[in-house]
Amino acid sequence: MEHIHPHHGDHYHGKPLIRFDHFTFRYLHGPALEDITLEIADGEFIGVIGPNGSGKTTLLRAILGLIPPSQGSLKIFDCACQELQCYHRARIGYLPQKDTVDPDFPITVEETVMMGRAGAIGLFRWPGKADREIVRHALEDVGMAEFCARPLGALSGGQQQRVLIARALAQHPQILLLDEPTTGIDAPTQHNILDLIQHLHRDLHLTVILVSHDIHMIAPLADRLALLKTRLYAIGPAKEVLRKEILAQVYGPEAVTTDAGHVLITDHHH
Amino acid sequence: MPDPLTLSFFQRALLAAALTGGLCSVIGVFVVLRGLAFIGAGTAHAAFAGVTLAYLVGLPPMSLAIAFGLATVWITGLLEERGRMKLDVSIGIFYTATMALAILFIGLMKSYNAEMYGYLFGSILSVTGEELLFMSLLAVLVVGLVMLFSKEFFFIAFDQEMAEASGVPARRLFFLLLTLVALTIVVSLKTVGAILVFALLLLPASTAYQLTSSLRGMVGYSVTLGILVSCVGVLLSFRFDIPTGPAIVLLATGLFFLAVAFSPKRARRVAPA
Repeated sequence: MEHIHPHHGDHYHGKPLIRFDHFTFRYLHGPALEDITLEIADGEFIGVIGPNGSGKTTLLRAILGLIPPSQGSLKIFDCACQELQCYHRARIGYLPQKDTVDPDFPITVEETVMMGRAGAIGLFRWPGKADREIVRHALEDVGMAEFCARPLGALSGGQQQRVLIARALAQHPQILLLDEPTTGIDAPTQHNILDLIQHLHRDLHLTVILVSHDIHMIAPLADRLALLKTRLYAIGPAKEVLRKEILAQVYGPEAVTTDAGHVLITDHHH
Repeated sequence: MPDPLTLSFFQRALLAAALTGGLCSVIGVFVVLRGLAFIGAGTAHAAFAGVTLAYLVGLPPMSLAIAFGLATVWITGLLEERGRMKLDVSIGIFYTATMALAILFIGLMKSYNAEMYGYLFGSILSVTGEELLFMSLLAVLVVGLVMLFSKEFFFIAFDQEMAEASGVPARRLFFLLLTLVALTIVVSLKTVGAILVFALLLLPASTAYQLTSSLRGMVGYSVTLGILVSCVGVLLSFRFDIPTGPAIVLLATGLFFLAVAFSPKRARRVAPA
């Protein structure tokens, strides 16, 4: 597994792109995110972990500008982005959880990826040659160019994920948000998707924020892990976050002491 | 028997059918894909309540039909967005409440009004020249706006939150889409009636959904089917002296089941990968 370790030393991390400052978001019944303070730098790869219902997806939706803070603030590219059509939104690519996409929706691969251009093209205008070129490029980046005329529903789960990643890339994003990108996909394909994400992170210099319940999968990829359960319990390199006493606060002491995964992860780092 | 095509009322009916069929099937694509079918049903009945009130107080029926229709889609749209109430519940309440209003308004009338029932059951053979003109203008407006915002409407239908996140003003456009649904229903009231307009909104688009795996394909099939069943329905109704609305809707229903039976999507699923 050595080859997929992040190279902390040689990876350039620029200025902060995303700043949560005591960010709280409440639903009617209580907080989904509470007092989150977090800075994410340009070019970082952040893994967000935590149990089910811990606010991982809500964190991504906050970055997308879909939910306003109840308290505190969130700035992206130094902008508060409360404006509905803030142009920054188009610079954030998003892969939602797989079950949000209807596999029977009558749409081709090319039409799906072209949707990623909708924000950039703007109202009252139609996709032009340049947009079709960008779509082709995005499909090439994910290795799906030859499928462009196929119906989305006819593809395998892993191929659909690639197409949806291409849609995010067609936005020419600076930030890529991925919500459980490998859930519900067979193991070899999971590996391909992760390789692809890492390639995009390195070669396109994308800031990646990947949400996963699978600590094993994400730990070797991310520069830093964020451990979330409504509050941010820990943020830092995997070897600092994946400690028994820290994980126990979120997952409960029994879950961690009997968690073979924790041992496995520490094995990787020794 | 004289050639029906030389009769001007028949030509008007055919034209009205083509307009209604084409319009309902265009907007129906988004209704089906975005899951707004039930809103269509509720709106049709609300619009009919508007018609009855207009007859009661002596206003042009279309004006209150539009007002009631728009109020219904906007309120249900807001309720859906807020997530305060399940959509089927809020629509169910609207549906019955507006029907109750319609029955109340009818009960308050001094005399029986046959014309008004045309809006409930459809009376395409009595469409007047002015009504046709009004329908054409609304149809041009609705189709024009759909074409103008087609890429956004498709995105909203595919994944509204994603569209919003990508910088598309998805919320405002969703309400525009609801507005167009309401206008389409009002336009179609006279032709197929409040009860059956819902079917014309759903059936051609659902049939098209079975036949294609691309967005363009779905619009193409839907419009073709919508115009075809409406015009053939009028011809059948004239030829066999049967009510037009049911003729159109039953024809569309038959085609729908044929499409389900022979859907290439189904074939694809059965075939080994």
